[in-house]
Amino acid sequence: MEKEKMIWRNSSVSLNVTAGKIDSYRKNEETKNTVRVYDDGKIGVAGSLGEFDDGRLTEAAKNSLGYGIEYTCELNANRKREEEIGDIIPEKEFMPRMHALLDRFSTECPKLAVSNKINISRLSSSYENSLGASLLSISNSMEFTLLFQNKGSGNLFDYGYCCSVGKYDEDAVMKDCRLMYDAFYNPVDIEEGEYPVFMTAGDLLGTTVTQFYANTYASGASLLSGKLGERVFSEKFTFCDDRNPQTAHGSCFFDDEGEFAEGYRQVLVKDGVLKSILTCKQLSRMFELPFAATAGAAYDGVPSFGFNSGYIKSTANSVREITSDKAVLIVEAGGGDMTPDGHFATPVQLAFLVENGEIKGKLPDIGVSGEYFDLLGKDYLGAADNAFFPSMDMTYMACRMKVSR
Amino acid sequence: MIDFRKDFYADVRIEDRFTTEVSFFNGSLKESKERREVRAFLRVYDGKMWYYSSTTDTEHIREALDELYSVAVPDADIEKDPVVKRFEINKDHLESFKENSVRNIPISEKTELIRAFLPILSSDPCMSMPMGKYLDRNSLYKFYSSLGADICYDYQTCGIVLFCSMVENEKKLSAMWQHGDTDFRNLRGLFAEAEDAFKEQAEFMRNSVPVEAGDYPVVLSPLAAGIFAHESFGHKSESDFMISDESMKDEWQIGKQAGAPILTISEWGELPGTGYTPYDDEGTRARKNYLIKDGILAGRLHSALTSAVLDEDVTGNARAVDCTFEPIVRMTTTYIEAGRDSFEQLIAPIKKGYYIKTVMHGSGMSTFTIAPSVSYEIVDGKLGRPVQISVISGNVFETLGLIDGLSDKVEMKSFVSGGCGKMEQYPLPVGFGGPYVRVSRMKVQ
Repeated sequence: MEKEKMIWRNSSVSLNVTAGKIDSYRKNEETKNTVRVYDDGKIGVAGSLGEFDDGRLTEAAKNSLGYGIEYTCELNANRKREEEIGDIIPEKEFMPRMHALLDRFSTECPKLAVSNKINISRLSSSYENSLGASLLSISNSMEFTLLFQNKGSGNLFDYGYCCSVGKYDEDAVMKDCRLMYDAFYNPVDIEEGEYPVFMTAGDLLGTTVTQFYANTYASGASLLSGKLGERVFSEKFTFCDDRNPQTAHGSCFFDDEGEFAEGYRQVLVKDGVLKSILTCKQLSRMFELPFAATAGAAYDGVPSFGFNSGYIKSTANSVREITSDKAVLIVEAGGGDMTPDGHFATPVQLAFLVENGEIKGKLPDIGVSGEYFDLLGKDYLGAADNAFFPSMDMTYMACRMKVSR
Repeated sequence: MIDFRKDFYADVRIEDRFTTEVSFFNGSLKESKERREVRAFLRVYDGKMWYYSSTTDTEHIREALDELYSVAVPDADIEKDPVVKRFEINKDHLESFKENSVRNIPISEKTELIRAFLPILSSDPCMSMPMGKYLDRNSLYKFYSSLGADICYDYQTCGIVLFCSMVENEKKLSAMWQHGDTDFRNLRGLFAEAEDAFKEQAEFMRNSVPVEAGDYPVVLSPLAAGIFAHESFGHKSESDFMISDESMKDEWQIGKQAGAPILTISEWGELPGTGYTPYDDEGTRARKNYLIKDGILAGRLHSALTSAVLDEDVTGNARAVDCTFEPIVRMTTTYIEAGRDSFEQLIAPIKKGYYIKTVMHGSGMSTFTIAPSVSYEIVDGKLGRPVQISVISGNVFETLGLIDGLSDKVEMKSFVSGGCGKMEQYPLPVGFGGPYVRVSRMKVQ
């Protein structure tokens, strides 16, 4: 009988902001524990909250072998690694420094009302198994989900400063907030037509990542089914499930089966070629799919596939290297989706006009659309890290899309 | 009871949550687990700041409270604080699910139930990768406050979720059906409904055609109408969005025209289903709230804080997804009230339009978006071919003003998986519903 155990300790402090002022302080400490045992092609799982009790959890996991859930996997032997990433504000400095940021924001961006959360968190995740593997990942991160209301607009919120970062630089945050602010109050227009559209990975790939699910792929229901190893997208397009805490801030570098890919990023598409599918050890074996370090599991659940965070490989150093044409930057997309045939469309809540690689102003309400294989194929223009708002540490990708009013 | 300290407002919410998950994938048992989590969420308020903590160590709540008291500043007049004055001091014991609690049903019985649904997922040659899931939850909540509130109530959901892939030549579809309920016994009568749903989706997969994008009249099913009400106007009624900008109260004056005169949108936590919330997470009793009545803005949803800031009554809408988060303003069960027409009367005058039957998801800010799954064209007053639509969308207020027909019966809907997301808190179980709703123009893509 083999055994693996995982412990996640998450410690976080969250400040709530209302009308530009901090009005609450929340501290959470949570520990989740998992023991899994494997015997004769079956898996037994037990989980708990709070202090780890090896004996009790192991006994419970052994008992759950009685459900007869089939799960065959090979555990990694003797793999050892420890990583601690992220340098954020100490807890005792957190509140005063956020007071200072918010005061500065209300002075420099007076037409906006600010609300919602700023968090700091420390996630410690450990994995051990009976073959000697021992992994420890500590990730310190800071998360902004600040919402901005144009005073008097009557809107719930108009846009936000939302990102997760591994270090905090007040000047850099304010510089980007000012850039957005100035653009927001400078209305510009655009005619309907086809334009380069810049967006984050989540705006397009978030809703369409289901195409990479192991069961969808294996059933033939994915638009990508049967295309492993084939060039399906533009040569410029490389897409990974990112667990690297340097870019996927706040993440654990290994998956929920204690596996990790090179650079802590599981390549799904490389230079346009479909390389991997989101899977776990059991599904990988069941459907004869390439191994991928993309398992996900509840703390008391049987592993399946998961998706942590999208990573797009940068192809350019600047927006202008991608295009100097008139372009659209999606700041807030609006819940788009794709038909079974691959037609993608989304309304856009807030978009900026970009010309010569620079943000010019706020566009009226628009919608964008295109076909899945075209958007990431012939219409894919490339991607650039930190292209518009460096403090947010995001990569923006660009596709040529139909823009409608 | 908890011994609270004077000169502060404090409350403690404890949830004892029992859940079951049994799932089958490709014919084999994939998951079989019962989970019990007991957590508490503690709040201390000193008139200036709120201090929160969450703990799974419910034996030592007093010590956790003491930590919060130690960073707050005592205020001898705390009970005169406008927010504190809004808190209700209810004392109640309301266990609605004690007799039919899912805690008392053996997991083997739940396993047999979901197993019985599985043949539906291989009833057509186009189907593969069948997945069937049984989910339930029974929660016992206790709430105590320094003002003397002492409430105990329970909450229950159970349900079935079925998925499969459908593939035939170049046609593909990820098909799904789910049903949420509050009584395990009701789940046994759902086989025909599930069968019909998958037959319809197979038909959709084989025969659906791409939509001709444009602006069209649209008829929403009760499910789509409920999601539309939730996304288009429910979120706009959550008044925590109003307290950061003083001008919002003028923009959102009660009595203002907010939709077509035939439109009434209500919100009510006492309705049975997944949105059932007899007391909110601040101990406020649920009541029926009209958001829009006869087209006029009639009310909004509140916590004690927002009701104090906007000087309106509390509504019973301060909710948290669980005891790791503070309550914020959320919906419970939101629905559009009935009108006078039949479905046939609603579609009869439409020369060219679309009927949205089922929905994958929705979202809403100034523009709302709904991503339909099964939809049909309406041609010359009759339902036509199934159509593939990515999204329907529109400006919220403009669209509410374009509602020009409502059918005469409301259907309430409950889901057992997923829920409403607001910022960091997801998924919160909510209920929704409505009649069939006709909108004279929506953007369809």
